[in-house]
Amino acid sequence: MALFSVSQTAFLLAFLSLRTYQSEGLSEPLPWAPESLKVSVNTTCQCLHLQWTVHNLAHHQEFRMVFQIEISRIKTSNVIWVENYTTTVKWNQVLHWSWESKLPLECAKHFIRMRSAVDAAKTPGPRVWSSWSSWEEADVQNSLGQDPLFIFPKDKLVEEGSNVTICYVSKSHQNNISCYLEGVRMQGEQLDPNVSVFNLNHVAFIRETGTNIYCKPGQGDGIKGTVLFVSKVLQEPKDFSCETQDFMTLNCTWDPGSDTGLLKQLSQSYTLFESFSGKKTLCKPKSWCLWQVAPESQDMYNFTLTAENYLRKRSVHLLFNLTHRVHPMAPFNILFKNVSATSATMTWKVHSIGKYYTLLCQVELYGEGKVTQHNVSVKVDGAHLFSGLEPDTEYLAQVRCANGDYFWKWSEWTHQNFTTAEAAPSEAPDVWRNVKTVQGRCVVTLFWKPLSKPQAHGKILFYNIVIEYLDRTSVSEVLSIPAPASGTELPLNQCSSQIRITASNSVGTSPASVLVVSREPGNEEVEEERVKGTEDGFPLSWNPQPRHVTGYLVEWCEQPRDPPCDLQWKNLGPNVTSTVVSSDAFRPGVRYNFRIYGISTERVPYLLARKTGYSQELAPSDNPQVVMTNLTSHSFTLSWKNYSTESQTSFIQGYHVYLKSKAGRCHSGSEKAVLSDDVVCCKYKIDNPEQKTFVVENLQPESFYEFLVTPYTSVGEGPHDAFAKVTTPDEYSPTLIRILLPTVFCILLIMITCYLKSQWMKEKCYPDIPDPYKSSVLSLIKSKENPHLTIMNIKDCVPDSIEVLNKQEGTRKSLTETESTKPTYLYLLPTEKRYSSPGPCICFENFTYNQAASDSASCGHVPVPPKAPPSQLGLLTSPENLLKALEKNYMNSLGEIPAGETSLNYVSQLASPMSGDMSNLPTNPPEPALCSEYKMQMAIPLGLASPPSSGSSSLSSITLLDEGEHYH
Amino acid sequence: MLPAAGEPAAGDSWGLLACLCTVLWHLPAVPALNRTGDPGPGPSIQKTYDLTRYLEHQLRSLAGTYLNYLGPPFNEPDFNPPRLGAETLPRATVNLDVWRSLNDKLRLTQNYEAYSHLLCYLRGLNRQAATAELRRSLAHFCTSLQGLLGSIAGVMAALGYPLPQPLPGTEPTWAPGPAHSDFLQKMDDFWLLKELQTWLWRSAKDFNRLKKKMQPPAAAVTLPLEAHGF
Repeated sequence: MALFSVSQTAFLLAFLSLRTYQSEGLSEPLPWAPESLKVSVNTTCQCLHLQWTVHNLAHHQEFRMVFQIEISRIKTSNVIWVENYTTTVKWNQVLHWSWESKLPLECAKHFIRMRSAVDAAKTPGPRVWSSWSSWEEADVQNSLGQDPLFIFPKDKLVEEGSNVTICYVSKSHQNNISCYLEGVRMQGEQLDPNVSVFNLNHVAFIRETGTNIYCKPGQGDGIKGTVLFVSKVLQEPKDFSCETQDFMTLNCTWDPGSDTGLLKQLSQSYTLFESFSGKKTLCKPKSWCLWQVAPESQDMYNFTLTAENYLRKRSVHLLFNLTHRVHPMAPFNILFKNVSATSATMTWKVHSIGKYYTLLCQVELYGEGKVTQHNVSVKVDGAHLFSGLEPDTEYLAQVRCANGDYFWKWSEWTHQNFTTAEAAPSEAPDVWRNVKTVQGRCVVTLFWKPLSKPQAHGKILFYNIVIEYLDRTSVSEVLSIPAPASGTELPLNQCSSQIRITASNSVGTSPASVLVVSREPGNEEVEEERVKGTEDGFPLSWNPQPRHVTGYLVEWCEQPRDPPCDLQWKNLGPNVTSTVVSSDAFRPGVRYNFRIYGISTERVPYLLARKTGYSQELAPSDNPQVVMTNLTSHSFTLSWKNYSTESQTSFIQGYHVYLKSKAGRCHSGSEKAVLSDDVVCCKYKIDNPEQKTFVVENLQPESFYEFLVTPYTSVGEGPHDAFAKVTTPDEYSPTLIRILLPTVFCILLIMITCYLKSQWMKEKCYPDIPDPYKSSVLSLIKSKENPHLTIMNIKDCVPDSIEVLNKQEGTRKSLTETESTKPTYLYLLPTEKRYSSPGPCICFENFTYNQAASDSASCGHVPVPPKAPPSQLGLLTSPENLLKALEKNYMNSLGEIPAGETSLNYVSQLASPMSGDMSNLPTNPPEPALCSEYKMQMAIPLGLASPPSSGSSSLSSITLLDEGEHYH
Repeated sequence: MLPAAGEPAAGDSWGLLACLCTVLWHLPAVPALNRTGDPGPGPSIQKTYDLTRYLEHQLRSLAGTYLNYLGPPFNEPDFNPPRLGAETLPRATVNLDVWRSLNDKLRLTQNYEAYSHLLCYLRGLNRQAATAELRRSLAHFCTSLQGLLGSIAGVMAALGYPLPQPLPGTEPTWAPGPAHSDFLQKMDDFWLLKELQTWLWRSAKDFNRLKKKMQPPAAAVTLPLEAHGF
């Protein structure tokens, strides 16, 4: 207490003296002003570190003082930071203060000064400050070195989302320096001529190797850069939890969140600290850690999990009792004992968690689509009896356990399958029959449905059939049909019999199904009724029977169109009089027939009703195949006897007969109908579906008709596609045919007769014409005058001109005087054209002319064969050769005329257009057209062919023609 | 009758045949042809050449991955920074005349020394890689490069050249000092990969030249036969 009063007195004295100083004037410095201010720079943390002292403090004197610190940037007047730092000051104490700069300290000069005051917060009045210390300069730029360009800060590590300021310092006074962040140019602000600053806000993590920032001067290839390491923000571990399986180790797990590892910074580390024991462990894995449970049975644990990286530290706590965190291991060694058809015992083992603990185990049984669950308390081994099981059924049993005293977590499931044993089938097989008579014997076909799994109680191996004949005349028969047969055909010795069918598996036999077969066919006269099917099936109903029945049975074929019709049946109780028969096999447009039987107490079935119907009626897809008969000029008959009304896609109500005609008139009994293609036609309606003939009458002769027969039902008609075509015959054509046919037959008969008697007809009607060659006159002439004379065929020569000779009566001139003879030609035909082609040239032997009067040169013209070879022509050019040729030709002409030498046999009768130059002959053979003009119509006598004396008058036709006169 | 000039007598034919048989009998003894036991350095030079080509291909993929890992501008195709701070890396580029004038021993020695240094640097690169996949790729490449180094040593041994012994204290180390900024370190990594690529390219040329040089001329085998029987 004394000490307190002394110090309080000293403080008051000092304060009063300070006040006194202040009141006396500001010129006097405050005695406790800061002195020896030193500023140092830490570029790693971009920190300014200040240290100073306060002098004039008395020994053991302590003051709580406020130091006002001012920091300026670039110049002293640019104050960027003012902070009051309050601390207790002792005698001879060195004071420290640090300030972290947002701007890298290398980027600008900083100036620092401070002043002090006694912290007199409790005393009223304004604070009395000491005078400012002098400005201290913090300049790192001087120590940078000689490089022309620097970028700051160097390789800084920040958290994602921080704001970072980058600057460059250029010592080469270049202004065109460009800076890039990850290849993208940055825009900065100039702090001074050599320094530019770039502010990066909310920087993001890009990669572990950091974000590259670099600057390039405008000239040169220098590049300066820095790497900004942006770390993800360290997250608090989530879902921190610890548990034990064996009271030996605790397994602590957590969700670490994102990894904050970088090239410059390792990933965050995790430390587990337990406060009761004071133990600590470094967890190498990132998401779990093992903790050894203390042997001295520590129950309570208080864990602190700390995640830590270079920038941050985060912790979570967990306090728990060890016995409340038991997570047992999965049970093992599941076994099934005493497995029968309906029960089984399951046993299993568990990993012990100590003798003082009880486990609660949960047992589940899956089978037959059901799940049952039981809880069992277990110390070491567990056991549970499953009862009420189905025979021959596979079950899945599984078990898991948890701490029974304090539930924390179930263990994993352990499961095992087992199958119960077989039992005898519980139900008699569902059996039906079909009875028919073959060659006087009853043949029964049995059908049965396989027993369902709950009924079979095992695999059915065979079916037993016992036939007992009711009149006891025959011995019973026993048959065994191996499974999986579903029916059999049995010829019976006698129709009246009772058949018992049982199914057997490896354990036993089912109850028997009993069928009684009687010779009476039953009430087959039952009238068939129509039934309309619905989406749910066919609703069938029948009248209740006055006599006692044990039940009813409905029978139908699921595939009525196929021969094995897939017989189905449905058993119904004795009180049931209606049912709905449904099946997935029912198809629209298929007619199904149902037969309903009543089963008497003697197990004899008798037919009660017959139903037929469609699950859905469909319009007919086909029309009947129509045959047309009795076609007359006014009618024809249509017939479709083969059309079955039973096998159609709906109930046929009748038929429509459509008739198209050009006249477009409809007679009585028909009505006009417009088809889908706007064609108007006549429609006849037939209401009876069994009437399958129709006579179309009142037609016009020689008219074209089209007709179609289509059935109609409650859901529509058949297609209107293929109209048949017919044309009615002419009304008179049958009469004509009756006349024409005999006429033609008669004519033919006459012609045949004429042909057969043609010789006789020829003799009688047109006898042969006499032949001149065979005439006797010719032989008379030959013998008297000239043996060479012959008769010329007139048809071979065509007279084209008549030569008129001016003949003097009484004078007969010699051959040399023939020059005076002037022949005159009268052309009958245009000869040049007519004889332009090669042809025979014939001289008439005209007996009316005098032989001596013939011009010696008139027939001297020797035509040359058109295609004569040059050698032959050459021979002809000489007079001797020519003479020979002439002789030969002339001789030939008197005899038989060879066919190929006709042109050489005759003297040419025309004037040749060729010149008389003989030398042209070989090269220019005369055209055959030279024979186109007659000159003299006489044969040359043999004596006239002698050559003339002069060479110039050679026997060429041209020469001869030039010398002689002729008229055109 | 004397045989006509130019037609060998029957006795001469037998002599020629005997001579041919003698030559065939002595062929295995001819030292110039008896090279089945020692194939020489040719195959190992070929293998080394093949290995350099394979490594070139392998490095192309690895460098792409690694430069993407460093980020821009190092993965930009036209990035060509000054070779600052990478002076300790063996330089592959050399004047063409100087390269031509290198003898075999010097050529192989330079290759061996270069890959020794580059392998050491590459292992340092592997140690600091952050991703496991990249470390796996780098480790695989280092193994291949170690194989190339062994192959070059094999060629040198086959030619009778001694392996260069590293001078004490000149072991290349991968220890970036505190003054070495991360950006400069990335630049060094860039230059290491680039220099490695250039060296592999140069080695392919070197071994191709050596391969051609070591091939024996096909028509240069002469048989010192004695003319027995002629």
